[in-house]
Formats: sequence, structure tokens, C-alpha cells
Amino acid sequence: MKRRDFLKILGVGGVGTGLGYFFGKASKPPAAELIPYLNPPVDVIPGVANWYPSLCTQCSAGCGIHVRVMEGRAKKIEGNPLHPINKGKLCARGQASLQALYNPDRIKKPLKRRGDRGKGDFEEITWEEGLSILSKNLLSLSEKGEADKLYLLTSQIRGSLNKLLNSFMVSYGSPNYLQYELFQNKNLLYANQVTMGVNAIPHYDIANTKYLLSFGADFSSTWISPVSYSYAYGQMRQGEDGIRGKLVQIEPRLSLTGANADEWVPAKPGTEGVLALAIAYAIVEDGYYKGPDAASWKALLSEYSPKDAAVVTEVAEGRIREIAKEFGQTRPSLAIGGENLARYENGMSGLVAVNILNHLAGNIGIRGGVIPNSNGSRTIDFKNNIAAFATAASASKVKTLLVYDTNPVFTTPKAMKTEESLRNIPFIASFSSFMDETTAMADLILPAHTSLEDWGDDFADPSVGYPVATLMQPAVSSFFNTMGLGDIILSLAKGVGGRVKDKMPWNGFSDYLKDAWKEKYSKDKDMLASALTFDEFWNQLLTRGGWWPAEQAKVKAVAVSPKGIEAHISKASSRFEGEEKGFPLYLTTYAHSSYLDGRGANLPWLQELPDPMTSVVWGSWIEVNPMTAKKLGIKEGDTVTVESPFGKVTAHVYLYPGIRPDTVSMPIGQGHSAFGRYAKDTGSNPIEILPFMEDPETGEIALNSTRVRISRTTESEKMVKIEGSTKELGRNIVQTISPEEFKRMNKEVS
Amino acid sequence: MKKFILYIIIGAATFMMGYTINGLYSPDLSPVQPIPFSHKIHAGTNKIPCMYCHIYAENSRHAGVPNIKRCMGCHSIIRTDSPLIQTLQTLTSYWEKKEPIPWVKVYNLPDHVYFPHKRHVKAGVPCQRCHGDVANMDRITRETVSFGIPYVRVSPLKMGWCLECHKNEAQKYIGTPVKNGTDCWTCHN
Ligand code: SF4
Repeated sequence: MKRRDFLKILGVGGVGTGLGYFFGKASKPPAAELIPYLNPPVDVIPGVANWYPSLCTQCSAGCGIHVRVMEGRAKKIEGNPLHPINKGKLCARGQASLQALYNPDRIKKPLKRRGDRGKGDFEEITWEEGLSILSKNLLSLSEKGEADKLYLLTSQIRGSLNKLLNSFMVSYGSPNYLQYELFQNKNLLYANQVTMGVNAIPHYDIANTKYLLSFGADFSSTWISPVSYSYAYGQMRQGEDGIRGKLVQIEPRLSLTGANADEWVPAKPGTEGVLALAIAYAIVEDGYYKGPDAASWKALLSEYSPKDAAVVTEVAEGRIREIAKEFGQTRPSLAIGGENLARYENGMSGLVAVNILNHLAGNIGIRGGVIPNSNGSRTIDFKNNIAAFATAASASKVKTLLVYDTNPVFTTPKAMKTEESLRNIPFIASFSSFMDETTAMADLILPAHTSLEDWGDDFADPSVGYPVATLMQPAVSSFFNTMGLGDIILSLAKGVGGRVKDKMPWNGFSDYLKDAWKEKYSKDKDMLASALTFDEFWNQLLTRGGWWPAEQAKVKAVAVSPKGIEAHISKASSRFEGEEKGFPLYLTTYAHSSYLDGRGANLPWLQELPDPMTSVVWGSWIEVNPMTAKKLGIKEGDTVTVESPFGKVTAHVYLYPGIRPDTVSMPIGQGHSAFGRYAKDTGSNPIEILPFMEDPETGEIALNSTRVRISRTTESEKMVKIEGSTKELGRNIVQTISPEEFKRMNKEVS
Repeated sequence: MKKFILYIIIGAATFMMGYTINGLYSPDLSPVQPIPFSHKIHAGTNKIPCMYCHIYAENSRHAGVPNIKRCMGCHSIIRTDSPLIQTLQTLTSYWEKKEPIPWVKVYNLPDHVYFPHKRHVKAGVPCQRCHGDVANMDRITRETVSFGIPYVRVSPLKMGWCLECHKNEAQKYIGTPVKNGTDCWTCHN
């Protein structure tokens, strides 16, 4: 070997070894550190999860949750298996509520407005400063004798926090504590009031019914208590007695629930109330109602003969009678009226009709029917509503507004001018943890904890036939520099002083909560019987997640009489704004199963979740029947302008065979102009183009109330959806046989 | 051309060599810790049981490093005069600053492995089986010395090594091979 070669080999070898050595070093994971606790909390074992029972606050169903916490960090949320409402199950919004806690767009500190209102220019301040600004404002208001010009606007808070807020407002001297959400079932409450005499939502016993007639109630994704109803629906379909309950869904646009139904009845939008009354008439006329007052019912309903109704509703007379027969004869049956029905301009009348149906079929107060809840009547001042508030604000009757967890700027039609009326209020303080559209208008933001960091309780309404109370406890300590709403209010009470302070001597909201429960405990004989001492009872609350009796309460029947009902039902089909000629299509809107009224749009998990019916992810779409689309010359993915007499929005076209050709539909929830990076500037908000049309009796804003026209823009885009084709394309995915063949095969087998 | 291939072979062989040398002798087998804590004194001379300090080993997947309060529980009485307990960079100073000690991990498994201490301890595998003769180590190391040459690792923490025990050695502790012990999901979940 030559000397040169030897050196070369040596060189190659050396370089190889060196490279190998450093490659080995670089490819090793970096040295990790082991950081022990300085002084460990008693209940923490690193690597072992603690599960804290608490309450889901993503909607007002009031499901019980278990939060999995490891080393002080919340990792996962599951349903509380003991909880009677959700029985261990949880919906996507409940699952995603974890991301509210860790959301990077949370307001992390108190903020004070620096620039123009609504421009989003804020400076950080301390809690002392923030609280003193607000208490000074409240003090000066009451010194001027204008205490009644303080308004408090919140979401549907129940339980002790609601009591605290109420006593704060009352002792301060303002009657203006108002709860507003887009979906708060005011029409349903009112309808129940006039028919059954209770201002409450009963327990719809879907689980045990054999025939469910649903008027646009999308109970498997958003209606009232979706987890509870979905669970019950599963039981209804696989009934323990071996009878599979039947579901008939009446709505112009096939919802997720509709897609599960045995029959879909797409009545003409706005005529469902009339259809319900026609079914009621057929029940009486065809003799399925056996009550002594059958004659007076017949007289009352005589205007709604199925024959006439068939013309109005576009549902054949025979079908109406058939539904009447099945509904009247199947025992037990159950009719429910959901948001689609309730949010017509005369939605309340439709809901009254649904109650009449339940009465005629004898469903009220029986298992598998309508079971009244025992928590009594709510006192609801229907006149004190969001529209009244907006009017007061425009008339400068609101001097200071406190707002928490509700977003009227987003959830009311532009035509109502909520934003303008807010501009008229001299001082707005928000307690929101997120910069939503309403909070962006605030002068002062005192961010409250999210529900995983705070104390609270809730009394489910509707409950499941017996009272259910859920306790909310902090699963983790607060993540940012925020404060619980109860604690904020108690500090404000101290700052305002005087009577307010005397009324509220508690040091913190947790003390208040415990005292409230102590009082409840001392009065409730069931609770007294359940545990020995209050401390034991309290511990049981904390470990079980709440309190509910073991036994179901006795079901009691409620009678509905035809007297006086006449005033609340109407023969007319619901009114729609916009001339048919200029605006040929009905617009119906519905709550998106992930965003509900828009509150879920800032959680990325929910943004990533495909819609269960269309499978579309992100953005907004408008559902158009393929036949209509063909006529208009539009195809899927086209960007269209949706125009009503009150404005226009853009959306992508989704071709949906499950909708009437004369109707288009848009989901609610997207189209935020604020609310953090995940929600902002995605999609569009159909509420914007709705007319300001409220139910004269309940003040509920009608969501299905306008016609629209759609016109193509030059843009088009591929829809982001996981569904490929709605056609089977000969792949034999769904195998079918004809009824004759089925009968023949059946015979052969038996 | 022939020569070129030869260079490549030599390069590759030496690369492997370098890689192996790194694996065997690299200092991260016995990293320097922020304070000169000696297992030899604690576990060896004073015969303190492992689980007196690593309190979570029986209940959690982590064995747990002792929290500083536990250290101070003894050292506010015992050997308070020792300079290593007292001076800067030592136990007391961390305690007074209210800061945890940033220990360097010696046995580090990648994130895709789920290793519960609890199950192994409960099955009766002695700590020393994987962590070596800790009672004779001043500083924890994964090197062992054979015939005066430090080169064999105490535990290589490679998958084959885990499976070997799940299949054979486990019989020594629980009488049978580990149930589902070679299923992917047993460790990668
Ligand atoms: S229905 Fe869903 S969002 Fe509503 S409380 Fe239950 S889990 Fe939470």
C-alpha cells in the first residue's frame, strides 16, 4: 500500500468516526430535566390524574362533567356518569370547553379603553384600579339618583350566582337585571304558561315514548338539552320492551335529527303551526280523543280541517290524517316543538298547538310523554327583553351597562341596531374572558374566570322530572390574572358601600355558595335525610358533583282546557319579510351543532369539526336544493350573495337534497368580527340580514322571518368537506331490496 | 473506482464506530447534577430504602424525585453543619430561594413509550434491575465497569431489551411471561 493511500484511508476513517460520534450525539434526545415540587400539594401524585366533578357551561343544559387534572393542569373533560342529565356523556362543545381555559385569546388582565370605542385599543390596568373605576362609576350614578339606569346583562345564569347578581342589583336600586341569549326558549315557556299554567319547560320523556312527532326540534345536536335527549333517543329506538319508537320530523330543512327520522315531512316554511292544528283537528274528528270536552275542542279547531290545511302546508290530507291516527293511537306518543317552529314570527302559536296535540293524545303527565318538572314556575318578565333594553339604551335611559357572557351585538339582527344603541351608553363594563363583539365595545374589561377555574352551581332547567342540582368547583387554579364573577360582584359591593355592602357581607363567592347550600340543606328534608352533617353533605356534593334524589318523583298529570287558548293560536301562516317576486326563497337559520349561537367559534377543536349533515369544515355555507341551484345556474362551492331586504352576506353554496326547493338555509355561529384569532373573519353571520321581528308577547326575535334572493359572484372555491360524493356510484355500499322481495323473503324464513 | 468503493466502506464502518462510541461513552450516561447529591451515602451507607424518597413509584408511572421539603425534613436536623448542605449551590440555598432543583434526567424514554413504574414495582422487579447498583454510585450513572473497562450500559433502554424481559425474565417475578407483553399497545399507547 502506498503511503498516500494509507493517509487517505486514515483521513476517511477519522472523518467517519468523528461524524458518527457527533451524529450519535445530535440524534439523542436532549437531556431532560426532572423538576420536583418544592412542597407538594397534598392531593397531587405526579402521573396520576385527579378527576374533579363540575358543571359544563357551554350551553344551558347543565350537564355534569368530570375534569381530568394532572399536576394542576386540566387535560380532558368527560361526562359525569352519576349525573342524571347527561349520564356520563358529553357533546362536542362540552369536550371543547377545555380550550376555553387554554385559549391564547383570553383576556389575561383587566383592561381599560384607551382609543375610540369599539376600536379595540385597550391598556392593561391592575385589579385594584379596575374595581375602583367601576365602583366609582356606580357610586356617582347612585349619588345622582340614577341607580335605576344601571343595567346588568348576562347569559342564562341559574343558581347561586344568579341570586347574588340579583341581590346586588336590588340592593343597589336597579330593577334592570336582564338575561339574554339567542336560544332561551322564551316562546316555549310562554306557550307552556298559557296551556299548562306553568312557566317552565317540562321533561320530555323521549326515552320511553313510542311515537315522537317533532316539529323542527333538532334535539340531537342543539335543542335545549341535546346530550340528555340524544341518550333518551337511543333508548327510545332500542326500547327495552323490544318496541322501536317511531320518529317523524316536520321541518323544511332536514336537520341531523331529521336525518335519523323514519319520516320527514317538509311542510311549507311557516305553516307548521297550522299543520299541528290540522293534526289536532283530525285527532278529534276521527275520534281518537275521548275526553268529555271533545265537542268544544272540535269547535275550537274547526277552522283547521286537514283538507284546507293540505293546501296551505303542502302536506297531503291523507298524510295529515295518517299522522293523526298514529299519534293518537300509539301509546305513549309525544309531540315536541323545537327552534325551527318556535322561531317563526308566530312561533308561540305553533308551540301552543304542539301542547294541544299532547293533551289530545293524553300525553301530558304520563311516562313517555310530557312530565312536568317539579321546580315550579319561573317568574319571567317577558317585557324585560333585549329589544326593550336596546330601546332604553337609544333613549339614553341606560347610563352604565355591566355585561357578562352574552353577546347581543352578534346575536341580534343588524336591523335592531344593538351596536348603535350600545354606543349611546356612557359607560360599559364587561366581565367577559374573551374579546367578543360586545366586549369590544366596553370601556372597562374585568375578565372573569372560565368555568373550570371558578365556583358555582346550577339547577338544571328543564330537569328530568325531579330536581337536579350541579355543583361547579375549580378544577384548576386560575391560569391568568382573572377573578370569579361572584368575587368581582362582592368586591364591587364593598366598593360601593352602604346598603349594598351591608346586604353582602361575604368575603368571597365560595363562602356565599357554601352558605347558600347550608340554607338549602337545612330546609330540604330529602337532603337532611341523605347525610348526617352539613360537612358530610358538602363533601358528598364535591365528590359526586351535585345533588339529585335517588328516586324519580311521582308523575302528575296536567290538564289543558280549550278555554282561552283561542287567543294564542293563529290560523295565519307565519309572516316573511320581502316580496316573493324580488326575494323568491325562504331563509331558515339554524344553530350550528358546534358553535350554537356563535359562542363555540373561538375554540379550534370545534372549528375543525365537520358539520354532521354537510360535513363542511370552517367557513359558512348556504344550503340550496340541487333543483333550485340548477335553475339559478349555480354549482357547489360558488360564492353567492344572500340578500334580504335588510342586507346581504356572502356564503358558499352547498347542494343539499334535504331541503325544500323554495327554501335555503344557513347555520348560525360563524362570521365574527372579533372573538379571537380562530373565530374572527371566518364565514358570515346570517343573523345580520334578518329583519327585526319579535314575538309581540314574548319579545323573542324571529329567526325564520325573511325571504332572500341569491346571486352568483364571480368567485368559486372548493368546499372544505370530508364527504366525497353523495352518490353510491355502483359501489354497493347501501344494499336495497324491494318491499315485495322483503315480504317474500320474510315468508320463506318463517 | 475500486479505491472509491473502499473509501466508502471504510467511511461507513468508522461512522458506525463513532456512533457506537458515542452511545457507550458519552458523558450523558452519567450527567453532572446541579448539586453533588450522593446515592452512595443515602442508599448505601445509610440504607435508606428507595421508596422513602421516590415516593410515587408504587402509585404512579413516575417514581418521582423527592420534593425539597422532604429533603429538608431530614436536613434541617441532620448534617446541618456540612458545607455541601449549607453553602451556595446546595440544598439549603434552593430551599431558601424557594426554587426546585433542576435535576438532569438519567433514564430518559422517548415520548412514544408508556412506562409505568407502578406496574413494575408491584410485580416485584427490584429497582436495581434497571437502575443498577445505585447504593454504590456517588453520581447516578448508566455505565458499569467490567474488568476495569467502563463500557457496558446498566440498561440500554432499547425495545429488544424491554421485550426480552417481558418474555423471559418476567417469569422470575410473576411466574409467567407478561400478559400481552409483546403487544404494540402495551407500551405504545
Ligand atoms: S349539552 Fe353539551 S354544551 Fe350543553 S351543557 Fe351538555 S355537554 Fe355542555
